[in-house]
Amino acid sequence: MSSQPYDLALAAAAEPTRLRQWVDAALKFSREKPLGAAGAVIVVIMILAAVLADFIAPYNPVATDYGAMLAAPSADHWLGTDEFGRDVLTRIIYGARTALLVGFSAAFIGATLGLVIGVASAFFSGWIDLVIQRIVDVFISFPLIILALAVVAALGTGTDRVILAILIPMIPRAARICRSGALAIREMPYVDAARAAGFRDRRIILRHMVPNVIAAYLIVLTSFLGQAILLEASLSFLGLGVQEPTPAWGLMLHGGASQYAESAPWMAIYPGIAITLAVFGFNLFGDSLRDALDPRLKTQ
Amino acid sequence: MLQYLVKRVLLMIPTILGVAVVIFVLMRMLPGDIVEMRLAGEGSYVQQETIDKERAKLGLDKPMWVQFTDYMWGLARLDFGYSMWTGRPVSYEIGVRFGLSLQIAIMSTVIAVLLAIPLGTIAALKQDTWVDYAVRIFSIAGLATPSFWLGIMIILAFLIVFQWTPPMVYTPIWVDPWANLSQLIWPALATGYRYSAVATRMTRSAVLEVLREDYIRTARAKGLWQQLVLKRHALKNAMLPVITVIGLEFAFLMGGLVVTEQVFNLNGIGKLFVDAVTQYDYTLVQGLVMIVATVFVLTNFVVDVLYAWLDPRIRYR
Repeated sequence: MSSQPYDLALAAAAEPTRLRQWVDAALKFSREKPLGAAGAVIVVIMILAAVLADFIAPYNPVATDYGAMLAAPSADHWLGTDEFGRDVLTRIIYGARTALLVGFSAAFIGATLGLVIGVASAFFSGWIDLVIQRIVDVFISFPLIILALAVVAALGTGTDRVILAILIPMIPRAARICRSGALAIREMPYVDAARAAGFRDRRIILRHMVPNVIAAYLIVLTSFLGQAILLEASLSFLGLGVQEPTPAWGLMLHGGASQYAESAPWMAIYPGIAITLAVFGFNLFGDSLRDALDPRLKTQ
Repeated sequence: MLQYLVKRVLLMIPTILGVAVVIFVLMRMLPGDIVEMRLAGEGSYVQQETIDKERAKLGLDKPMWVQFTDYMWGLARLDFGYSMWTGRPVSYEIGVRFGLSLQIAIMSTVIAVLLAIPLGTIAALKQDTWVDYAVRIFSIAGLATPSFWLGIMIILAFLIVFQWTPPMVYTPIWVDPWANLSQLIWPALATGYRYSAVATRMTRSAVLEVLREDYIRTARAKGLWQQLVLKRHALKNAMLPVITVIGLEFAFLMGGLVVTEQVFNLNGIGKLFVDAVTQYDYTLVQGLVMIVATVFVLTNFVVDVLYAWLDPRIRYR
């Protein structure tokens, strides 16, 4: 109780400098990595679209308008309408919400579980490591989308199941990368020093090992984000992901888009551009972040 | 080399067994069982008798360990059971479609290699110039473009510009090579672009790395012609990681084909897989996942052996 005011004051004093540090870091990043900054801009626009969808979208994403079916792009409907008269632009804006929800939850949960499993595997080594690595081997033997489809076959479709279907194949991939990072750190003198100082396993893992694997973790996380968005779009395109009437980019390309491709090409063109831009943005940002965070893992 | 080969083959066995176990467990994780799910998926009322009959046919009424032994013994004899949809053997359903998918996969690989190696090399040689940036943007865009959308755009472009659509009926290459190629080149292109993106990035970084090696400086210092340095010293050494990536991505192609075949309405393994999932045909899903994972493991094996053969340092480690 007595120390609280002091802590608060200290925190308040530290606040501006920390903010300054972040701003400086961001400026340095955009100066050194123009492509990465461009990616960050796309990501920010997408997040804004998702958050502010209710205010900026011109129509209701699920409202049908049979008076304006398959309408060409015009002043009323900038990107045209689909076969139910739903505004394509509105559905793309709301689609950002679905893409980010699925992308972030799948990538974050998948990468974090992978981090925990990978670091634990490296730390405990011996037979625990061996068993975990053999299991990882098995799961890596399924191409991403094949395992995701198998999970969908078992659990069914819908937004929550899609998140599960995407995150399950990501865990072993994250675990593999985080483990190799952690293996190198395990041999570091400072981990020996921590051990010699008598720290417990938990403290060594959380305070000494995890922070040094964070670079690898962030790289995994950003690369998963793009992949997760692409995978969600693919599953939804196949009709095995997010279901109607939820607005989702992949789903917008399912069915009607190919059927009316000749008479209403806007239905097929714009949602695809949205997917490509989003994944492009996340990949650009992730690549540059990788270069900035860990020069040893230079862009391939 | 023989020792390495034997070791590598032995390592493959537990992985394939593990894959089989995972599929077995996954297909029994369903709420109810595959028969209930499959029949409920059709939406009409089904009598208990029908369910029991179907269960007995699939051996689901037996204890779990018997089911598991039967399943593993079946796999050992390449017997994947019967499709719950068509009633034909799963191995037959897969067999008739395998050639088509394999052909697209090979064509995509050729496209990817033809694009990736020149582009990656030139980007590395002109590092940090506009050429490099253009190649990098082209390849990052390749990773971001969904192959199914690229496929739709290709069809759309033909439709609008030439009022022409790629033929929809599949012709085997030995019947009419021209008709076959004019149909399959487009899905191969849609899948190959992404593939080439991965390989281009790898080529670029591999060439960049090799160019910094001492032996390149030595070759240049002794006055060797630049092109000879590039061909004999740089590219030869840079190709190792590139071959690995191409091999690994080949295994992933099956995944890419799942969506592209849907767009071009091609009756291959990928479309069969999607249909199987949509129609709750669990025996077929089971067999397909097993095949794809096995192809993947085998491809990895071939890549590893190739790598060890090309780079003696690997096999003596």
